[in-house]
Amino acid sequence: MATLELDSITKTFRDGGGEIIAVDDISMSIDDGEFLVVVGPSGCGKSTMLRMVAGLETVTSGTIALGDRVINDVKSQDRDIAMVFQSYALYPHMTVRENMSFGLEESSELPDDEIARMVSETGELLDISELLDRKPSDLSGGQQQRVALGRAIVRDPEVFLMDEPLSNLDAKLRAQMRTELQRLQADLGVTTVYVTHDQTEAMTMGDRIAILDGGELQQISTPLECYHEPANQFVAGFLGEPSMNFFDVTEQNGRLVGEAFEYPIDEETQANLGGTTDLVFGIRPEAIELDGRASGAHEFETYVDVVEPMGDENTVYLHFDPDSDPEDTETLVATTDGLTQIAEGDTVIARIPEDAIHIFDRETGDTLHNRSVEEAAEQVSLD
Amino acid sequence: MSDREPRTDGGTASISARLRRLADGTVVSRVVLYVVLTLAAGFYLVPIESGLVTSFKTGAAIIGTAPFAPPGPAGFTLEKWRMAIAALLRGMGNSLLYAVPATVISAFLGSITAYGLTIPNWKQSYKAPLLALIVAGVFIPYQAVLVPLTQFWSQWVSLTDLLWFVWALGLSDDYAGILELIVTHVAYGLPICTLLFRTYYKTMSEEMMESARLDGASLQRVYQRIVLPLSGPMFAVVLIYQFTQIWNDLLFTLVLVSTESSQAAPIVLILAGLGTSMEGQDFALRMAGAFFAALPTLAVYIFFGDEFAEGVSA
Repeated sequence: MATLELDSITKTFRDGGGEIIAVDDISMSIDDGEFLVVVGPSGCGKSTMLRMVAGLETVTSGTIALGDRVINDVKSQDRDIAMVFQSYALYPHMTVRENMSFGLEESSELPDDEIARMVSETGELLDISELLDRKPSDLSGGQQQRVALGRAIVRDPEVFLMDEPLSNLDAKLRAQMRTELQRLQADLGVTTVYVTHDQTEAMTMGDRIAILDGGELQQISTPLECYHEPANQFVAGFLGEPSMNFFDVTEQNGRLVGEAFEYPIDEETQANLGGTTDLVFGIRPEAIELDGRASGAHEFETYVDVVEPMGDENTVYLHFDPDSDPEDTETLVATTDGLTQIAEGDTVIARIPEDAIHIFDRETGDTLHNRSVEEAAEQVSLD
Repeated sequence: MSDREPRTDGGTASISARLRRLADGTVVSRVVLYVVLTLAAGFYLVPIESGLVTSFKTGAAIIGTAPFAPPGPAGFTLEKWRMAIAALLRGMGNSLLYAVPATVISAFLGSITAYGLTIPNWKQSYKAPLLALIVAGVFIPYQAVLVPLTQFWSQWVSLTDLLWFVWALGLSDDYAGILELIVTHVAYGLPICTLLFRTYYKTMSEEMMESARLDGASLQRVYQRIVLPLSGPMFAVVLIYQFTQIWNDLLFTLVLVSTESSQAAPIVLILAGLGTSMEGQDFALRMAGAFFAALPTLAVYIFFGDEFAEGVSA
């Protein structure tokens, strides 16, 4: 087990005459035993980054170090890294037992009986003992997934790399495996880098998450910090479902003026803006209160366009102007308790608390103001 | 029970009438289909059947009966088969002596070359020209290389001279021709074998091979333990194709061994002259010889048939 250090690694591919930068100057340090989730939209370079760590792609520049050892030029087979692929990549002509022994046979000098013992132990750990003599084609997707995991675990490598390992499973099994993987990783204490495009996996599984976009690292932090204190508009919009509401606004004398509304801000918030006037106003759907009472500076009369009942909560799409065309007016998305009585066509008062708003620089996307940390901390302590 | 009775109202009647018409239509079309199929089968089988019955006929029976009619008890003989086997057995041995090694070696080398060409971390700029050369190799006609080929084996690499110590042991130096045939057929078969295997390996999961690399296997070990065991169906295709090709080839044997009187004469050379003499053609002997000479190729098809089907569909 070891720390994994990425120092400004870059990967460029040649494409005809031009060059495509897949991974752009990424630096991060993953602690011994840490579970890091790398998340981002497809094509953001997260898989390329993982494959560089695995040695399946060359590093254009920068260094990758495992412990004290720089592994840029170490061949894949000598890196002591195990990887779980999305397709599981089991060897179809071998039984489960042979699949799991393969790595130990190839990478170690262990005697056969020792390998057999380790394979059956890992089989028990993963509850696949009764499958050991079957071929992969006789297994269900979930079972194949466990075998792929077992094949990685049995080798007891320095680092686990996982490339969307759960995305071929059905929703229920995926949720189950998510918990199980976390438990296994905590028990084994192996440094793990887990790549996914699924933000639920990112939020729930990792000690920290790294968010990538366009080959660049946007933020690396704990899940809750990324959620409540996003470094920029991309991170704010990527995490959370339904995603954060964004409105283009301009700051005018302590008021944020948007197309559909005006929002007064206090001096403290205004100080954070540092004189920037072209802004993006952000508010998470769950921070909006639809209590339908009172009226103040931070309360707006809105009209319910669509209600999506999810059971535990409702997703409500609101408009500021009842006469506008729903296609091109600004929509405010809010979530409410599942038992709230709310119907299409209703008029509701939406309260947008100032301590929950985010403000971004419209040009750079950088965060200028985040929701108040005290309130976020309060929510953290509930966990 | 009553609900099983067919209802007799008008609507149902018209439907059942239509069904009957439809059924009549299918019966007619099926009859036509089977007649055509039977005719087609006959068309393909009659020559083979004629050859087979002819091979069992005496000279008199050949003149006296139709080509496809079986010989009567008086006209039946195994004599021609006995003669054919006696004449061809030596050639059969010689042919196996080069066809089997040449087939196996070209398939194996093709598989390794194809594996090399599909390794992802090889630069495309290295792979592409190599592949272009290999593809070009498929299209070189046999006739175009006959002269350089004889020059190569007679002037540059004369096995008769180079392997003098082998011939000193008492083996006829005619067998140099067998070695030449092995090398020539391997060289000539390599491009097509490589292309067939390459297509097959392209469909193999890249992640599986990467997974094996990460499991600590070197390139050679990945080939040995993953790629080779999974190549079975394509080996069947290549082995059948190459074996038939090499077994049936007359041109190279004619050029490299040249005479049927040679100790190392392959079966095709002897077969070419079998049953022809000043007195005319001995059809029965020629047929028996042809069938005997075709037996190994038949055996290969039967032996690798299942894998062949799998490989072709892959």
